[in-house]
Amino acid sequence: MSVAAPELTDVQAIVEQVWSSFLGEAEPLLPQPVPAGAPFPAEDAWSAAITVNGTDGGWSGMVTVELAEKVAFSLTAEMLGVEDVEDGDVADAVGELVNMIGGNIKSLMPGPSALSLPVVAAGRAAHSSEAVEVARFDGLWIGQPVRVSVHVTSIGEN
Amino acid sequence: MTVRAMIIDDSRAMRSILRRILTGLEFETSEAGHGQEALDQLTAGPVPDLCLVDWNMPVMDGYTFITQVRANPAWRNVTLMMVTTESEQSQIVRALAAGAHEYVIKPFTPDAIVEKLEILGLTSKGIPA
Repeated sequence: MSVAAPELTDVQAIVEQVWSSFLGEAEPLLPQPVPAGAPFPAEDAWSAAITVNGTDGGWSGMVTVELAEKVAFSLTAEMLGVEDVEDGDVADAVGELVNMIGGNIKSLMPGPSALSLPVVAAGRAAHSSEAVEVARFDGLWIGQPVRVSVHVTSIGEN
Repeated sequence: MTVRAMIIDDSRAMRSILRRILTGLEFETSEAGHGQEALDQLTAGPVPDLCLVDWNMPVMDGYTFITQVRANPAWRNVTLMMVTTESEQSQIVRALAAGAHEYVIKPFTPDAIVEKLEILGLTSKGIPA
């Protein structure tokens, strides 16, 4: 059975659009291909997840963002327009980031569906053992890793 | 006359981005973290000229907020602009039918916000520095 999934080029376009809209063009987000299955290449990371819950045949999935800690703090400072940020600020900004990316990925997929509120954590993203990765974008921003992944919970449900 | 705008979004980062755009246009701004908080502020006054409203928020979402505002004749002059990641056509139609005047999809640029404000006749100024 085929798995309904967004195209990687579409995911990348969405991520790059979010980045350029809110973080400017001065420091671009550069694609950085990483082999499938490779762990996120940063020891200190922040992550956020948002789920798309389909109804009546609509697509369901989860979008996660993983950021090196330096990326998380830098983008938060940029979005808030301040120099010093705290963990609560980072949670807020990273949550909004995954909200924007997840919302735009949702629009690519068959509806109807609803977007959850984001969940943010200091650390790597966790996934259900049944989750299947269907698209992933890896990039570098300010020389540090950024990863956006799309998972579906069960192949049979999509 | 100074335009009074209320920014309704559960993200402080997003409120900060929108606040910088609006204050650059010399708007007066206030903020709320969800629809119910915004309704409470409307009730307490002063009533803003413009509300920028996110869709997905805890406690009360933006769609419910718009229907509540439109149900109260005292707030009929409030201009409502959705600013949200909800980009499906059906959602846009639903929000406009409920009483939203304009709809901006995140991510946006400052130019996109200013363009919508100009359409609404709320500013003729350029992009803030």
